[in-house]
Amino acid sequence: MPGAAVELQGITKAFPGLLANDAIDLDLRAGEIHALLGENGAGKSTLMNVLTGIYQPDAGRIVMNGAPVRFASPKDAIAAGIGMVHQHFKLIRAFTVAENIHLGWPDTPFRTSAALLESRTRALSERFGLLVRPDARVEDLSAGEQQRVEILRVLARGARVLILDEPTAVLTPGEAAALVRALRGFVVSGYAVILISHKLDEVLEVADRVTVLRAGRKVATLRAAECSQAQLAALMVGREIGGRRRGGAGPRRVGPIVLQLAGASADDERGVRALADVDLSVHAGEIVGVAGVAGNGQRELTEVLTGLRPVTEGQVRIGGRVMFGADPAAFLAAGVGHIPEDRLRSGLAPSMAVADNAVLREYRRPPVARGALFRPGAALALARRIAADAHVMVPNMRAPVRNLSGGNQQRLVARREMRVSAQALVAAYPTRGLDIGAIDTMLRYLAEMRDRGVGVLLVSEELDELLGIADRVAVLFGGRIMGVFPAGEAEPERIGLLMGGRAEAA
Amino acid sequence: MRLQRVAAIGPWTVVATRVLSVAAALLVGGSVFAFAGYDVPTLAASVVQSSLGSLFGLEDLGLLFSPLILTGLAAAVALRIGLWNIGGEGQFYAGAIAATLAGLNMHGPASLMLPLLALAGFAGGAAWVLVPALARAFLLIDEIITTLLLNFVAVLLVNYLCTGPLRDPAQAVTSASARIPYEISPLLDDLHWGLGVSVALVAIMAGLSAFTRWGFETRLAGANRHAAHYAGIPVRRRLMQVLLLSGGLAGVAGMLEVVGTVHRLQGGISNNYGYLGVMVAVLAGGVPWAVLPAALLMAVILNAGTVLQAYGVSNYEVLALTGLVLLFTAVGERLAYYRPARRPVRAA
Ligand SMILES: Nc1ncnc2c1ncn2[C@@H]1O[C@H](COP(=O)(O)OP(=O)(O)OP(=O)(O)O)[C@@H](O)[C@H]1O
Ligand SMILES: [Mg+2]
Repeated sequence: MPGAAVELQGITKAFPGLLANDAIDLDLRAGEIHALLGENGAGKSTLMNVLTGIYQPDAGRIVMNGAPVRFASPKDAIAAGIGMVHQHFKLIRAFTVAENIHLGWPDTPFRTSAALLESRTRALSERFGLLVRPDARVEDLSAGEQQRVEILRVLARGARVLILDEPTAVLTPGEAAALVRALRGFVVSGYAVILISHKLDEVLEVADRVTVLRAGRKVATLRAAECSQAQLAALMVGREIGGRRRGGAGPRRVGPIVLQLAGASADDERGVRALADVDLSVHAGEIVGVAGVAGNGQRELTEVLTGLRPVTEGQVRIGGRVMFGADPAAFLAAGVGHIPEDRLRSGLAPSMAVADNAVLREYRRPPVARGALFRPGAALALARRIAADAHVMVPNMRAPVRNLSGGNQQRLVARREMRVSAQALVAAYPTRGLDIGAIDTMLRYLAEMRDRGVGVLLVSEELDELLGIADRVAVLFGGRIMGVFPAGEAEPERIGLLMGGRAEAA
Repeated sequence: MRLQRVAAIGPWTVVATRVLSVAAALLVGGSVFAFAGYDVPTLAASVVQSSLGSLFGLEDLGLLFSPLILTGLAAAVALRIGLWNIGGEGQFYAGAIAATLAGLNMHGPASLMLPLLALAGFAGGAAWVLVPALARAFLLIDEIITTLLLNFVAVLLVNYLCTGPLRDPAQAVTSASARIPYEISPLLDDLHWGLGVSVALVAIMAGLSAFTRWGFETRLAGANRHAAHYAGIPVRRRLMQVLLLSGGLAGVAGMLEVVGTVHRLQGGISNNYGYLGVMVAVLAGGVPWAVLPAALLMAVILNAGTVLQAYGVSNYEVLALTGLVLLFTAVGERLAYYRPARRPVRAA
């Protein structure tokens, strides 16, 4: 397979008040995994949206097989063999896997039945080596399964170029490893893959070449084998950045208990018990990490602690006060902030203005409110302030928040929540989708909050991150707390075993 | 030619699209009329002349405009929080019934009674949507079906009342209630201050939506219910309140019609205002202030209907025209996002 599978030449794309892509060149070869790196808002997703026909470039062209092509829509791109799996999945949640695969696909037989669609899906699944359950509803699938459906959807339509936008951000380590294996398999058989990621170690492990964007411009394209994490990070940020700062763990004086679960149980959406008899407490001035593989009760744990979900047994206490029922407003009033795990579903209203989203937790009180009044001007001022504190560049506060880059949405939500966390902050995967610089900043913020006497519950899959910053680490498996350890005494191996459900004695 | 989709369109594009869609619908409708043998230029001229060219015409227009504003506003308010109140018709009648009962049975000075009757109308409309609202908030039962079905109940109820308990014995033939002894002071001859009330209610709703916490909460709940719950907003309560408010506004429309224009309760007074209000709300995109131009357009079309009848055009043909306008607007709204592709695509 000689030469480039696709070539981008001088791609330029401007949004009102902002140059998202500035004369970017990129060539993608058949048989390679090409990583695309850059800080939040650097223009990675935009560039890929141009390549797949979602956006039209203002200047520059796309060349395939020596001839310029123009894609008016993702349909054209997929017809030319270019398919994308987006940062936020675009599956229809109420449909089955088989239905999602066949939706809007010219190859779907005119006369069809559920059985036919499922058998066709099964055949595709085997052909591409991606395990999916054709008859399952998408809303019942884990993030990893949904992603396999998205990939299969694209491959089934004959894509030879596969674009994945932050695919591993929402995966468990096991799922991520499986994905990487599958990608390796694809490129061996002549496919080309573009992989957007913020995880530099992962990038260096799987990619053949790396292209770095900074503020809409291309900085460099390098062979992965010839570069280091530090070098890539420096290219992304434009300066050297120090190694990741570790929380200065050690004995510290903690305050009274601010967040407490006592014998708490809770059910998930389907009424299946997802938390079982959990005892957990977070003191003022400490960070308690929750380690575990996603899907072991993390969502329910955070929701119970923030009033989004009722407990079926046991108690939730905030600052010693027992909270009755699921009442998010009461938890908010008690000073509990919440960075939710899926910002687009519950943390933001994507179609509403950035300004409205930024004040979503503070619109009740002055200055945004005056009595029963809502003051748009004051809301705008507060939103500007939050955006500035979050280091998010927002050209237009009245534009819908979905126009912000994924990482910038995350920063905005995090900053907004920190402001209301007078007593405690429940943070679920707060560094998800953030670039390395922003991860550092986020962890520093969490540490600062602790030092100010706020109790922080940090849910994460990154064990390094947890052990680096938390004072104590609790391990969650199958809805139960398997153990709580002071961070100093927690050995990664032992925690790893507990995360897999193995008891201490084993 | 190939089309490509653009991600966002500006506000002026939206306005231009609306205007073009309406024009296209009128063009198509006009062609059909021409095909059917009507002299379209003459029809058009007489429509313009008789509705906009004379004080009488303007008055008629105003009498249609006012209820359409309110039923449109009612549907638009519900749309903001993501609900389809198709029951404007029933709520209109319920408001009319409540106002009639109050007007016939209570006595007092007009300055006191008129606000009281408006309140009764509001309460009647709100009561009519109470069950759908409860069902929607607590049992997740689709409000479209329930509000729609209650329209038929309301129509039958009015017919029952007018032929039974409320029937005016003084009137031998028609089935209608006795005359309500209160009048809304006139703006022109027949046109009464109901129009002013309607416009004021639009302004109030627009203000509520943009400048109150309650308005923010309903907008947020309409945009993403999960996020509203997360923000600490009692989503169910807001759904209920919005539906009750929506029903109440349609009820006030019924009260103004029965007290201000018809003066007695009788069948058919709703003139389809409830259903047309849904169209108005869609044309307005659910935005309160935009209800005014949308309702005006609908009023012009309806008014044209009465004029056209003189030329032998039936009421149904006019209704079909309103349907055409709605259809073209809905299609136009989607099409506004497409542009011709700049160059043809070369397959790889
Ligand atoms: N539709 C849009 N309208 C206006 N601005 C946009 C739009 N889409 C993206 N942007 C802006 O363009 C810039 C680049 O966004 P993009 O989504 O490409 O970033 P990214 O590199 O993918 O970042 P992340 O790592 O956070 O996902 C951002 O500042 C974003 O706010
Ligand atoms: Mg992105």
